Order: sequence, then C-alpha cells, then structure tokens
Amino acid sequence: MSTDEAVNILMVDDQPGKLLSYEAILAPLGESLLKANSGREALEQLLRKDIAVVLMDVSMPDIDGFQLADMIREHPRFQKTAIIFISAVHLTDVDRLKGYERGAVDYISVPVIPELLRAKVSVFAELYRKNRQLESLNRKLEQRVAERTEELRESEAQFRSLANSIPQLAWMANPDGSIFWFNQRWYDYTGATLDQTKGWGWRTQLHPDHVERVVEGIQQTWSAGAAWEDTFPLRGKDGSFRWFLSRALPIEDATGNIVRWFGTNTDITERKQTEEALIRSEKLAAMGRLAGIIAHEINNPLEAISNAFYLLRDHPSLDKEARYYAELATQELARVAHITKQTLSFYRESQQPVAVSLSEILDNVLELQSRRLQLNGIILEKRYRTKGVIQGFPVELKQVFLNIIGNAVQAMPSGGRLRVRLFPSIDRRNGRRGLRVSIYDTGMGIRAEDAKRIFEPFFSTKEAKGTGLGLWISRGIIQKYEGTIRFRSMRLREGHGTCFSVFIPAAMTAQPTRDTAAALVA
Amino acid sequence: MVHNRAVILCVDDEDNPLVLRKLVLQKAGYEVITAKSAEEALQIASSRGIDLVLTDHLMPGVTGAELARQIKAKSPTTRVVLLSGVNEIPLGADAADIFLSKVEGPDSLCKKIAALLSAPGS
Repeated sequence: MSTDEAVNILMVDDQPGKLLSYEAILAPLGESLLKANSGREALEQLLRKDIAVVLMDVSMPDIDGFQLADMIREHPRFQKTAIIFISAVHLTDVDRLKGYERGAVDYISVPVIPELLRAKVSVFAELYRKNRQLESLNRKLEQRVAERTEELRESEAQFRSLANSIPQLAWMANPDGSIFWFNQRWYDYTGATLDQTKGWGWRTQLHPDHVERVVEGIQQTWSAGAAWEDTFPLRGKDGSFRWFLSRALPIEDATGNIVRWFGTNTDITERKQTEEALIRSEKLAAMGRLAGIIAHEINNPLEAISNAFYLLRDHPSLDKEARYYAELATQELARVAHITKQTLSFYRESQQPVAVSLSEILDNVLELQSRRLQLNGIILEKRYRTKGVIQGFPVELKQVFLNIIGNAVQAMPSGGRLRVRLFPSIDRRNGRRGLRVSIYDTGMGIRAEDAKRIFEPFFSTKEAKGTGLGLWISRGIIQKYEGTIRFRSMRLREGHGTCFSVFIPAAMTAQPTRDTAAALVA
Repeated sequence: MVHNRAVILCVDDEDNPLVLRKLVLQKAGYEVITAKSAEEALQIASSRGIDLVLTDHLMPGVTGAELARQIKAKSPTTRVVLLSGVNEIPLGADAADIFLSKVEGPDSLCKKIAALLSAPGS
C-alpha cells in the first residue's frame, strides 16, 4: 500500500443535494470521496474502509451528527479519525463541540465556504496520510528490529557454540576486568559455577602462589588497554592443577572505547612437561659429557701412577710392610681405573661389528654370576627362543647384561627367582624387528622416587658399593644399537618384582664405525 | 725368550708417562727406545730396526694414528700399538694393530704386547 495514494473522505448528509455540493467542492483535492445518507450508512462505511476524514451534518433525522461522533469515538479503531461537523452556529452546538476538542474535530458553519471546507478537509487528509506514512515506517522499523534481534540471537548462539567447541577455556570480562561470562569448558574443567567464579571470583581457581602476580599483571595491562598474556596453574574439579597460557584481547566499539575483554586459557601442561623433560635430558647429557671429560683427564696420570706402583710393588728394596702398602695402593688404583673405565667404556674394542650371539653372552654373564646365585639361593630360569645373533661388539653387550643381571642378583640377597628370557620381538615405536632380552627378579623392587633417576649418571642405591654408572652406561650402549632399555617394578605386600627389558634391532640403520673406516680410506 | 729381546719404540709427548712405560716394558725384558714426538719416532724408525711401536694417540703435531699409518707404509711388519685415554676409537686407529685404553693397566699392556709379538708374521 503506497502512502501517497488518495485517502477516503466520508461525507454524511441526509440531503443528497448537499452531498453533491460537497463532492463538487472537494473533488479538486483528488481524494476518494464516499457518500452516506445516514448515520447508520456512515457506520457501515467506516467499518468496511479506512476513513481519513468524516464530514457530517449535525442535524440528521435518525442519528444526528453528535450521536454519530460519539459512536465513532467509542470504537477504538476510530478514536483518531478526523471529524468535521457542518452546522448552523448555535450556541449549544459550540458548547458541545468543545467536548471534542481533544480529538481531531473541527466544524464549519453554514453557509459553507468552499475554500474553507476544502482547506480543512485537505489538512486532515494530509495529517491522516502523514500518520499512515509514520505508521508504515514504524512497522518497517519494528520489522527491522525484530530481524536484527533474531540475527543477534543467531550470532550469539553461533558465538556460544563456537566458544564451547574450542579446546580452550574462554571468558569475557567488563572493561574493569570483572568476568561476566565463561564458556562451557570452563565449567567442565573447574567444576565451579558462574556465581562462584564471575567478577574476580575466578581467583579462587588460581594457584595461591600466582594470584598476586596475575591480578597485578591484569590490572596494569588492562588499564593501559593492551593485550594481556600470562601463564599460571588453574585448579581442576579433581583438585589437581594444570598449567594454562591465558591471553586476552580488548574488544572496542566504533569509537575505540573498550567495551569488553575476550580471553582464552590454553592448557600447556604437556608442553611444559616436555620442555622440562628436555631440559632434564640436556642436563643429563651435559653431566655425561662432563663425566667423560673428567675421567679422560684422570686416565693419563692414572696410567702413570699404575705403572709406578706396578714397578714399586716388586722392587727388591721394599720390605714386607712397604710392599703391603704398595699392594693396597695398587688395589685402590684398580678401583679408580674401574670407575673411569666404566665411564669411558663407550670405547669399542674393535672397529667392525662382528656376529654376536646374545644367548652366548647371557650364558657367559650367568656363568660369571653363578657363584653369587648359589650363595644367595637364587633359582635361575632361562628361556631362550633364539640364539639371538646380531652384528655388534661383544664386550660392551656383555657389560650391559652384566650390569642388569648383577643388579638383579644384588637385589635378592636372601634368595628369589631370576628369569632370563631371549626372544624375537618388534620395536613398538617403529615396527622394527629385533631381539628382546627380559630380565626379571623377585628382589626388593625399585622405589617410585628412584625409578625416575636410575638411568642418571652417578645415581646409585647401593651406598658405597656402586659407581652409579652401570645403568647409565648400559643405556648409552643400547642407544648406540638404536635399541631401547626399559624397566617395570612393582612393590606389593605379597612380593616385589622388577623386570628390565632390552630391545636390540636386528640391523642398525647407521653404522658410524663403517663411516669412520670409509673416511680413512678417502 | 726370543721376544723379550724385541725392540720397542715408545712414543709420548709427556715425560713421566713415557719414562714409566719404558720401565714397565724394560722390566718385562724388552729393549726400549723412547721418542717425544711422532716426527722423532719416524727418524729413529728409519735409522734402525724396530719390532714394535707403542704410541700415545693425542700428541702435538702428528697424532699416534698418523704415525701408525706412516710406520706401516714403510715397514708393514712393524707392529703398532695405539694407546689412548679417549673414550672413542680415534679416526684412523685401524692403521695400528691394536688399540688399547690407558686404563687397562701394566699387566694387560704387557700381555697384549707379548701376544702381538709372538703372532705369526713378526
């Protein structure tokens, strides 16, 4: 419906001649002119059509103008319909007309002046048209508002589902830093409610050691309007803490004012653990290198001293007592030599690997330990499913199994079972084929706090008896074969058990010794 | 005891270890000549017969491994024992007949030298 189109003007008079004359007067307005011969007819027209202006004679036979006006006004739809009375000016009429002053009511006295009637009708028609335009505009606006509201609802719903689907904990805060919204993951992780954690309540989830620093950091950064970042541990619903990287960005309105902060917390616990493990392994590697350097520096004077005592020990000028001292010194020197040899035993006795049978090496080691096995009352259970021939260096492999089996025997001073198995196996990390040796003992087990450290250099549970190098060296040797060495230990009331598992690939991918030989030829 | 009169050339840039090694070998019955560098050792080896060269690996100038290579090039039957305190077999060590760690000790040193000298081809 166009708002420029003609509006309806209803003319009510019981005299057809008057209706005709009004029609003639109003025709130039270009509006649509409707005629009614009585009040009843007028009401029918009003109900059927939208009427902008009612032009009525006050004196009509069945329902007079005032009665008709009252009836029109009673109807809610017509309360604002403009009414123009046409009447002879009677005092009574003027008084009654005043009663309508609040509405769009006017009157014209007879004789009707055509220009005046035309002007008045035109004003009301125009008013009606304008009102209608305004209403139409309002309707459109309301429609727009409804549409926008729906869009916002949708985008809000989209935002929420997005915010809940990300792996991070997400939140929004007011410009003053007080949080008013968290995503579902926050509640899932913390087990807390919005009431408990909104505003600054989230501080209760923060590790107490970090509260002061984090809050201060937030306040400083946010008052400057800059993006914020920090890392700290947050308590989960199970009470344990995990590390999070928290970041927040200011959200600005069109004029650049910060209206809210949007933040995420990313779980970096594993990354942190990896970093720590890396630092730890680098530290261990450095310790290993240091041990090697020190041992090497000791070797030169050690050889000279050993030779000197070797000569001194049998020297004819020595009496029995002096010879005893020299003997003691020689024995202690052998201990020093043993330590440096352990540390330096990365050296290989030959340059080319040879065919080595692991079953033979294990038998050899067990033979060396046979007296101890017997003395301690240890039952030996051997199970070889293969001869276990690989390319390698027998001395260092023997050292590996001597270390592990020696530890197992020492862990069972008052008897137990030692099970040694050799079987073909596959490296779970990469699917490579190879051989696995498992050495199981029913000894004292490995304490959880020691488990992390048993491969560290100079770590020993044997008090003064051990160098703390055995397993560290064993692992170094097995790693040269691109193999693995692992263990599991259980300490239960009904008995303890420890199992070491050594995996050696059937063939090495790289053979550094060959490269050395090739470099020499070149 | 034919081998006990064998001539051993001991090479090391450090005095004390060199002297002590010489004494140990002399005690085992060998005739021992010493040199304080690979260059000096090569001069001596070219002027007289040597059965075995016992050399330290890490020396200023020419290394023990290089000395072994040059000795073998001139006289393939001369035995060479490379001695070192390092924990990795040095580059070129296979020019020598055997590689020995210094921590093996005097007994082991003498045994290995005796075995090498009595092996066929010496």
